[in-house]
Amino acid sequence: MTGGCLSLSGVQVRRGRRTILDVESLQIPSGAFVGVIGTNGAGKTTLLKVCCGLMHPDRGTVKFAGKDLAGLGPWSRSNLRRGIGYIPQTAEYNWELPFIVREVVAMGRVSVRPLLSRLSGADYEIVDDWIERLGLGGLADQTFRSLSGGEQQKVLVARAMAQAPAVLMLDEPCANLDFNWKYQITEIVERLYHQTGVTILLVSHDTSLLPPACSRIVLLHEGRISADGDIDEVFASEALQVAYRCRIETLNIGGRKYVVNKNQTLGA
Amino acid sequence: MDPYFYLVIVAGLIAGASTGLLGVYIVGMRIPFIGICISHAAMAGSIYGSFLVFANPTLTAICPALGGIAASVIAALSLAGIRPERSRLDTNVGLAIVFCLMLGLTFLGIGLNQASRSEMLGLLWGNILFTDRAGTITIAAMAAVLAIFCALFNKELKVLLFSRSIAAATGVHAGFVYGLLLVLSGVILAVNLPLIGGLMIFSIVTCPAAAAYQICTGHRSVVIAATVFGMLSALIGFVVSFYLDLPTGACIVITSTGIFALAALYRSIHATGD
Repeated sequence: MTGGCLSLSGVQVRRGRRTILDVESLQIPSGAFVGVIGTNGAGKTTLLKVCCGLMHPDRGTVKFAGKDLAGLGPWSRSNLRRGIGYIPQTAEYNWELPFIVREVVAMGRVSVRPLLSRLSGADYEIVDDWIERLGLGGLADQTFRSLSGGEQQKVLVARAMAQAPAVLMLDEPCANLDFNWKYQITEIVERLYHQTGVTILLVSHDTSLLPPACSRIVLLHEGRISADGDIDEVFASEALQVAYRCRIETLNIGGRKYVVNKNQTLGA
Repeated sequence: MDPYFYLVIVAGLIAGASTGLLGVYIVGMRIPFIGICISHAAMAGSIYGSFLVFANPTLTAICPALGGIAASVIAALSLAGIRPERSRLDTNVGLAIVFCLMLGLTFLGIGLNQASRSEMLGLLWGNILFTDRAGTITIAAMAAVLAIFCALFNKELKVLLFSRSIAAATGVHAGFVYGLLLVLSGVILAVNLPLIGGLMIFSIVTCPAAAAYQICTGHRSVVIAATVFGMLSALIGFVVSFYLDLPTGACIVITSTGIFALAALYRSIHATGD
């Protein structure tokens, strides 16, 4: 993809008089695995929604595959977004509807096919392939709502990957999961990254969820990028301690980096 | 049996089927308040449309329907244009304001139209006497349009049901299909309104679909069950209304709510987490 996969320039999002996102510049090249971290309310989800065009910035430009999302008409913008795989937070999907797992994964093929057409046998082969690759074969005919939170996340990952996206955007994919499922989901995302080379933008408030493949970390603090670099650089930065308002120690366990609070809260 | 009764039954079955099918999307997308606003816009439009009958009595059959369709389509397009992320107003609060406005306009219209108040009230509660051959054909035609729309856009509608965010973010033409659905909702509600009643029609949109979501597995079975439950609600409601001389809309509401209650009971007894 020319011109980088995703680029933001001078982006501002305001709510009333408050600026909730203020990003001078952010470039995410094709094939990168970028983690976006920050405290609650730092602007992580807003950044992700701006990147996929669900929110329009009050100022600045967002380019996907070299094209300005705001400059396109609704139809062209939809066509461009076919390259975006998006996994939102739980509140943004109707998990209680009685869709079966295969139906949910097949939704990943919808934007790939034109309007007024039906999914073909080839589409369902791709769907079944992703169901198998994510170990969901035994659950294909079960309802989505009957699955555990971790299994539902795997289904959503399968749905997003069935779309064959250029970039996969995940918004807190491990929220409300136990530590074993958190590990499994991040391991799956990392495996997909290595297998497919898809560009990944992963938002998480939990710094322990960033797999080793995540080569770059963007730290958001009060809507601004306060650090941007490799994981060692950002975890060692003063900006991280300022953002989380505590003294931080970095631990390296099994190739993963964990930050822990040294029990010394800084002044409010 | 009176041949007119058969016409009522046919009209009722088709109206029940189309509103039941529509409910799959209104209930599934968690937008019942939008549906209520559109149905009340249809009611207000029908009442103001019926004013034209006095100006030109030859338009008796079409004026209320056209008024209802026009008002509900305008309401649907306006509601489709709401952008919660750009407004400081909560969507539900905005819808509540639109709902109150429509209700106010409805009763203002009834107050202004002293001459035919009983017909006006018929639009509120529903009246099987409104059924005629032309009206039944209109209801059937619009039901066919809805069924064709649902078949043609089935894959997009499923994604919209699951998540409008995912649909919009991943390149499904969400705004286009959602806008069409709302416009079609307005038309379906407007043409069925005289038969079922403006205050009652939303029950037959909501309850059959909610009942289907309680007991079905898979989208196709939900669509079939909601359509059948809608037809059953209308059929039983009409038969009871006809023989006991009770308000049609009220009979349909109670029947459809009863079907939902039975479905919820079935689910609670057979609750296995699906």
